[in-house]
Amino acid sequence: MTTASVTTDINIGPYKIPSNAQNMIMNNFASRNGLKVELVIPEPIMSDQLKTTQWLNKEFSFENIILCSLHQLPKNKAHLSKLIENLKNATFHFAIEGVIGKGKKFLIKSSEEANFFKKADLIDSQKFNWLELYEMINK
Amino acid sequence: MSLKKEITQGLGYSIVKIPNLVKFTKLRNVFLNKMGFDQNQNINVLRKKLALMSNIEINKVMVGLLNFTDASQIMIDSCSEIVKELCGKEILIQRRASTIFNLPGKDQRRQWPHYELMSGISPFTFVMWAPFHDLDDDGGVFYLSKKESYQKIKLEHSQGLVNGPTILNKMKNQKPTKLKFGEAIIFNPFILHGNIDFNSELARIACSVRFQSKHRPLMQKNSDFFKLYELN
Repeated sequence: MTTASVTTDINIGPYKIPSNAQNMIMNNFASRNGLKVELVIPEPIMSDQLKTTQWLNKEFSFENIILCSLHQLPKNKAHLSKLIENLKNATFHFAIEGVIGKGKKFLIKSSEEANFFKKADLIDSQKFNWLELYEMINK
Repeated sequence: MSLKKEITQGLGYSIVKIPNLVKFTKLRNVFLNKMGFDQNQNINVLRKKLALMSNIEINKVMVGLLNFTDASQIMIDSCSEIVKELCGKEILIQRRASTIFNLPGKDQRRQWPHYELMSGISPFTFVMWAPFHDLDDDGGVFYLSKKESYQKIKLEHSQGLVNGPTILNKMKNQKPTKLKFGEAIIFNPFILHGNIDFNSELARIACSVRFQSKHRPLMQKNSDFFKLYELN
């Protein structure tokens, strides 16, 4: 039974987090939550399937898997289903959101939440100044 | 004037009675338990203890409270009718409500004057702040009206500044709002607010939570800060 942290592509939903910063975030989370990271898994960039983690699970039977964010879950439903099936015994920790849970229901809810934020309307703060932002609440 | 209009178009903030005080009291009790206190114990015992802590110790306590993830939901539920009036049923709420301590005496760290938008929440986000006890001294928060906040923001904007000396100097001669336990203040993200030095043997403890309609746009704060929530 092992605790692993997983680094992925730099593009994580709305964030851009280099892998060394991902490790800092996850190690800080582990320390605050009394977890000891025993294995650091580098997933390949340009993929969100978390396949390496699933393959390694056969050997290590992960008890805890730490990711930076729920945005790192597979976007494709079939890929998500595979992950749910193969890692059903692992507890997932999403460090940035501070969300912890396991199982199908939890992972589907987390994926749906990621999907909502992915599609949410965003105000581009580089396109407005403070006074223009202020005007928005008056409309 | 409706509450929403008062907060967005009028004064910019409003003091409300927390409708479900049982729930809010539960929040205070859970907090006391997390701090290693019995829920029946007088909160002033904890306030006295906190008042004697160093900033390092306070920081440690606050980091520990990051795991208090239920707080925001309980606080929103205690004011669900009010939140619904402002944002509807389908909302985004702050994942981790902030529990904030204000320590008495000079040279303590203070929340300098600021407005919430500076942190990257959207203009459509509301802030709710409530103390865990009566505020009998100046340990609370002062608020500037929307009009006065805007004047300061506009003046600094014309100088190419944000949160510059004009706003920081507002720390002087302010009178924090006195609230009772069971009252909350709700304000829009442009309202300048902050703390001042105060004398007391007791620290001030309060909780705050940010929320908005899920149908309104976000700005920089995203899933790191908000979670989906549906009111009954």
